[in-house]
Amino acid sequence: MKRNGIAFWIGAALFLAAALLMTKVVSNQYPFFAGYVILQFIALAVAWSILGGYAGYVNFGTSAFFGVGVYSSVFLVKAFGAPLPVQILTAAAIGALMGFALGLLTLRMQGIFFSIATIALTIIIETAVTNWRYVGGAAGIQIQRPPVSALFDNYVQMLFFVQAVLVVLAVAISRYIQNSWIGRGLQALKDDELAAECSGVPTLRLKLLACVISGALLCAVGAPSAMYLQFANPESAFNLNYSVSTLAMSLIGGTAHWSGPIIGAILLGTTQQLLTVTISSEVNVLVLGVMLVLFVVGAPEGIIGLIRRIFRNRNEGRES
Amino acid sequence: MSKRVSKSGSITRRRLLATASAGAALAASPLGINLLQAQTAPIRIGMSMPQTGGLAGGGKPSLLGIEIWRDDVNAKGGLLGRKVELVVYDDKSSASETPAIYSKLIDVDKVDLLFAPYATVPTAPIMPMVKQRGLLLIGNFSFQVNSKVGHDMWFNNAPWGPPDSWATSFLDIGQKAGGKSVALLTADQEFAQNLVKTTREVAAKRNMPVVFDQAYPPNTVEFSSIIRALKAAKPDIVYVASYPPDSAGILRAVNEIGVGDNVKIFGGGMVGLQFGSVMENLGSLLNGVVNYNSWLPEKSMYYDGTKEFFEKYTKRAVEAKVDPLGYYLAPFGYASGQLVEQAINATKSLDQKGLAKYLRENTHKTIVGPIAFSADGERKESAVLQAQFRGVADKNIEQFRTSGKQVILFPESLKSGELVSPFEAARK
Repeated sequence: MKRNGIAFWIGAALFLAAALLMTKVVSNQYPFFAGYVILQFIALAVAWSILGGYAGYVNFGTSAFFGVGVYSSVFLVKAFGAPLPVQILTAAAIGALMGFALGLLTLRMQGIFFSIATIALTIIIETAVTNWRYVGGAAGIQIQRPPVSALFDNYVQMLFFVQAVLVVLAVAISRYIQNSWIGRGLQALKDDELAAECSGVPTLRLKLLACVISGALLCAVGAPSAMYLQFANPESAFNLNYSVSTLAMSLIGGTAHWSGPIIGAILLGTTQQLLTVTISSEVNVLVLGVMLVLFVVGAPEGIIGLIRRIFRNRNEGRES
Repeated sequence: MSKRVSKSGSITRRRLLATASAGAALAASPLGINLLQAQTAPIRIGMSMPQTGGLAGGGKPSLLGIEIWRDDVNAKGGLLGRKVELVVYDDKSSASETPAIYSKLIDVDKVDLLFAPYATVPTAPIMPMVKQRGLLLIGNFSFQVNSKVGHDMWFNNAPWGPPDSWATSFLDIGQKAGGKSVALLTADQEFAQNLVKTTREVAAKRNMPVVFDQAYPPNTVEFSSIIRALKAAKPDIVYVASYPPDSAGILRAVNEIGVGDNVKIFGGGMVGLQFGSVMENLGSLLNGVVNYNSWLPEKSMYYDGTKEFFEKYTKRAVEAKVDPLGYYLAPFGYASGQLVEQAINATKSLDQKGLAKYLRENTHKTIVGPIAFSADGERKESAVLQAQFRGVADKNIEQFRTSGKQVILFPESLKSGELVSPFEAARK
């Protein structure tokens, strides 16, 4: 366990160093634009998986949290000209509060009813923002980036690195949860909530905690997006595509282990980016759809489940 | 077995040698050949275009218009003796896709010129990028996207002109027909909200009371209660800024309930009534509506090449399965090409600053009429049409190809008839 921990942190440090080195060495801008989007989806999928994977509460409200992150940044920039770290921290705080409120209101619902409630949340918040003229309302708002900090050559490279840091943060939290009493409790309530409650697992408190952490991370990931696009409108910020893609990435990767959503997001996110600049027509939507169906049929527990099954079969083969 | 392996191994080595030497020869090819290639290589124009998602219905005909221009210009021998090639990616109608796509176009594909995607939302995120890099961008029907960014190398192909011109022209027509009070009915979406904002301002300037001001959420399908409330307010002028599905819903509700005898003029900013399939579906429900448009088959709208363009478009639209009429966007896609064509031919170069200077300082002949730009890159004068639907029958798309089905009321220079008012009389 301890050795694993050291390996994880060395891996994380290497990943961040590589991201930083990339901003220094690569002068072509495109890898940073495309990389930012992929990193954003990794962080979203990992954050989603804390509630959706470990606790089994399928949250369709990713776009609500993401959009709130975007708009909290828009508000902070317009009202106070706040710098990026303040935007991210504030978005995380708002996301945590939102997760807490959502949890209190909806976590007594289970299964599909919880999922429907989260879709409703997206619609309610999007409608509210659409009618909030200060942040542009339905027409959207263009925002100007401030000058970039001295460490980086341009803003997109900085955003790329910031998103890489958020990925490491999200993965570290997710990994900690999986290996701690929280993860074990969530696992228990995922298997049978009533049995878990009877065995003394504080189910509501655990679910609330998962909701708060997941919400804070989802919002924090959305915050830099305002600066990435330099434009925000409710339709793009609260686009259901974020919810669907995040869910698909987690499910394709597998939700049983913290690395599942990372694998899924890298696979699906990279495919999406590649398809956009290669096939680039209706066909790319079809390809994604087919991929989803194949994984649901062929690997219902995701890639992680598939790998485990292969290893198990091999081990059994050896024993016999 | 083992023999075969060793044999294939030796072939691989030989192949490897041959490939390596060929690669080396290629790498060491004289600089002269490279330069020659650069001079004869095609001029590449890069863009993203909504080909899936909500804006695809507009993006596809617009792209077809640009493709027809490309084929025409290549048939004439290209530009500066080089063929023209388009590099197009699908942005899925989303703002979040375009920054990466345009970065790919600029940094990886290294295109020579950039066209913007159709519509405001996908264009907005790329404005700061092109400004920062000092690149020329030909806009494609986006609305006031440069007003905050202030990029001096932006030129919009749309006929919009000054932002308040839509409201001014519609209210002018209404006032001439004796209208005093205004009702506003608007979708809670980007384009509609931008339009109604200026309408409110113009009405306030002219001391016209706004007796009804209602925004409705996107995707509303049932409008009977809203139309009843509107009717009860007894307005003289009804300004509607809506999107395709709701435009249809509103007209259906108006057909059932009516809007009252007070109303002199109805319409203004209804998106969708420019598209063939929507017009065919609505048929006679369109009669009487005065709505904005960009191009119509009236005599005053034909310039050099317009007729030939639509002959080609009509044929190719069937194969491409896009809007069979294509009046709203396709000719303006063609005009975008004509703008850069004239600038490149005049300056004899692809220097972006030189091209921008030429575009800013001259008037350009296009198939949608002469185009001159003001300092913000929008048209100097509005060429947005306000036209009234007349004598439209049900389920016949071909009728819209003849003149007289949409009579142009504004601008004066293109006028092809007079307003029939009040609205209830014009509907019959």
